[in-house]
Amino acid sequence: MMKLNPAATITEEFAERIKSENRSAKMMKLAPLMVLVGMVIVFTIICGTQFFSGSNLLTILNQMALPLVVALGLTFVIMLGSIDLSIDGTVGMAGSLFACFVLNTEFGFNLGFLSVVIAVGASMICGLLIGLCHVYLKIPSFMASFAFMYICKGIGMLSYQGHPPTITDPVIKALPTTYWLGVPFITWVSLLMFVLCLFIQNYTAFGRHIYAVGTNESIPRSVGVSVEKVKVGVFVLAGFLFGVAGVIGAIRLGQGQIAIGSGKMFPAQAAVVVGGTSLAGGKGGVVNTIVGVLIMTVLDNGLLILGVNPNIRTGVQGVIILVAVILTVARGAKVISK
Amino acid sequence: MKKRKLIATILSASMLVGLLAGCANNSDPGTETPSGGGESTPPATESSEPAGETTDWANFTIDPADIPQEKLDTTLYLAVSIRGLENPYIATINEGMKLFAEYLDSIGQKYEMQVLDSQGDSAKEVDNMRQFAAKAGGNAIAYADPNEDTIAYSLAEAMAESGGYLGTAWNKPADVGPTDLNPNWVIHTSPDNVVNGYNIAKALFDSMGGSGKIFVVEGLLGNTANNSRVEGLEKALAEYPDIEVVAQDTGNWNTDEALALVETWLTQYPDVGGIWCANDNMATGALQALDAAGLKGQVGVCGVDANTDIVEAIANGEATATVSSNGYLQGGYTLAICYAAWTGLLNVEDLPAEYREFATPTVLIDSPEAAKEWQSYVPDFDFSRPFDCRVAD
Repeated sequence: MMKLNPAATITEEFAERIKSENRSAKMMKLAPLMVLVGMVIVFTIICGTQFFSGSNLLTILNQMALPLVVALGLTFVIMLGSIDLSIDGTVGMAGSLFACFVLNTEFGFNLGFLSVVIAVGASMICGLLIGLCHVYLKIPSFMASFAFMYICKGIGMLSYQGHPPTITDPVIKALPTTYWLGVPFITWVSLLMFVLCLFIQNYTAFGRHIYAVGTNESIPRSVGVSVEKVKVGVFVLAGFLFGVAGVIGAIRLGQGQIAIGSGKMFPAQAAVVVGGTSLAGGKGGVVNTIVGVLIMTVLDNGLLILGVNPNIRTGVQGVIILVAVILTVARGAKVISK
Repeated sequence: MKKRKLIATILSASMLVGLLAGCANNSDPGTETPSGGGESTPPATESSEPAGETTDWANFTIDPADIPQEKLDTTLYLAVSIRGLENPYIATINEGMKLFAEYLDSIGQKYEMQVLDSQGDSAKEVDNMRQFAAKAGGNAIAYADPNEDTIAYSLAEAMAESGGYLGTAWNKPADVGPTDLNPNWVIHTSPDNVVNGYNIAKALFDSMGGSGKIFVVEGLLGNTANNSRVEGLEKALAEYPDIEVVAQDTGNWNTDEALALVETWLTQYPDVGGIWCANDNMATGALQALDAAGLKGQVGVCGVDANTDIVEAIANGEATATVSSNGYLQGGYTLAICYAAWTGLLNVEDLPAEYREFATPTVLIDSPEAAKEWQSYVPDFDFSRPFDCRVAD
């Protein structure tokens, strides 16, 4: 008879458990950041100043711009517990359309900033259609967005028909070499998108509804939130961000090509998950994503500087991503995540 | 709810797998009986006469007067089977088909043309070819760029099932060839990629004064074209001992990936003298990275394919060299030779081996003058002499 008052013990036990859960949750929150710092330290030790130099850090900033904007869009979709596979198509389409409508070598348009509106607008419409198909036609987001990947690729290919337009607009041509406070212009754009997303996530009702819908749809529905509108809204927001990413890609390449979007989907997804956003929905957020994107970009860049044999680099990259996910994904959940 | 979503996801995934498996089953030869297959293979009587006399294959000519009127009145289906028109080089192959179609117009041949787009999917490319050949009921000729080495024979077989005629280009395994599938697999041609890789490397090294550091941006590792071009590069490197490769990796034929590679390498080796790229798409990325680093015009860049933007850059002195494989010529002449076989003017089995597999000519563009000349190039071919596209040994 050690415990005389069982009720008190249960309360104590409960309090203790909550405390330890909170502690581990805090740890888990910091895990992605620790992985990033660890990675930077390892690469700095091995490659020295070649990795940790001003010019290389600038390169990393340049290379993270497009993946960051893509991953931001995907973050909200994943927070809902859905998925968007349209990325390769929408990003490529937006980049191609943008290059077609500014001053270029192939077509006689010179719409300047209006072409950004056209490109991003087209991408938002695709996002809207994906959302409508998913919500009202009850098609899994996986399937609806997969179909739209092809549709958008088709639109992109049709826009330039085998002759990729090279951008000749002097203002846009100069953007890849435009710096402000030492940071490339396109990185500023991506950071602006980050701040915008952070604002939406933390300071708007829409942002809170995304979490609520991702956690359990029936709760927000019971208090009168239109789950349908929230879901469609998220796909439109994602479309907006994919469009911006496509424009960034075209500016970076100086050319419109459907290939701007190729192979962007899975790295973005990996970045979101490595950052700590749960694929099951309801957890994580854009701050996690920026860390995740940095992890992926630094890994890519570091391995290249290390001069790892190209035949084994891809494999090594996979192993490191797996380790990063093992270190960062919360395993407190009672069920195996899907 | 979660469970339902999970089930839905699994279901849709399995549906997708089922769909793909279904397609694969369809591609099993023999499941389809092509309508009217073999019906319109060339009549032997027609072909024996010219074949008997002509041994000078290089000067073989298509004389429209020898083509039977019933052939001219039959609708002939033309196709190019390619990876997708988003690549400018591949678009020129399609242009080549259109040029050949103009020739058919001039001799009064009825035809319909089509682009078979595989979107980089090998199984799909074979399926496309089978459906195309079956639809045409044997009255089909096509140019195919096999997505992978291994499917070259399957493509020819898909055509042969319905009795059409196929010419392949670029990719095929070394141990199979057109002679394994008479008469439907007419020819296999390819520009010599070893020579291409060597020529652009030599132009690059010469522009650097024969010494300095270079980056190497390879295409898809293991791809035949990439391997041959790199082999050519290595040959040139052996002749220029003062050229040092400081970084070498793959950009997977992709502009975006090449840009990231060169961008990163430039932070390590800002004193690089030249960048060798296995194709022009990647050279575009390299140029863009140089531009961002303020080095455009100071560092030599070379590629293969003669994309418009790279030719423009050579004309401006910002890039060093590229090679045109002349897709117009490849697409147009391959169809011309297949046409000769279909009409019966050419008996495929009589053709010597060196006329079944041969190299097509390329154009090296390695100076601003050459670039300007290429920019004003208007393809003008005489398709009545189909073997003009063969480089003599």
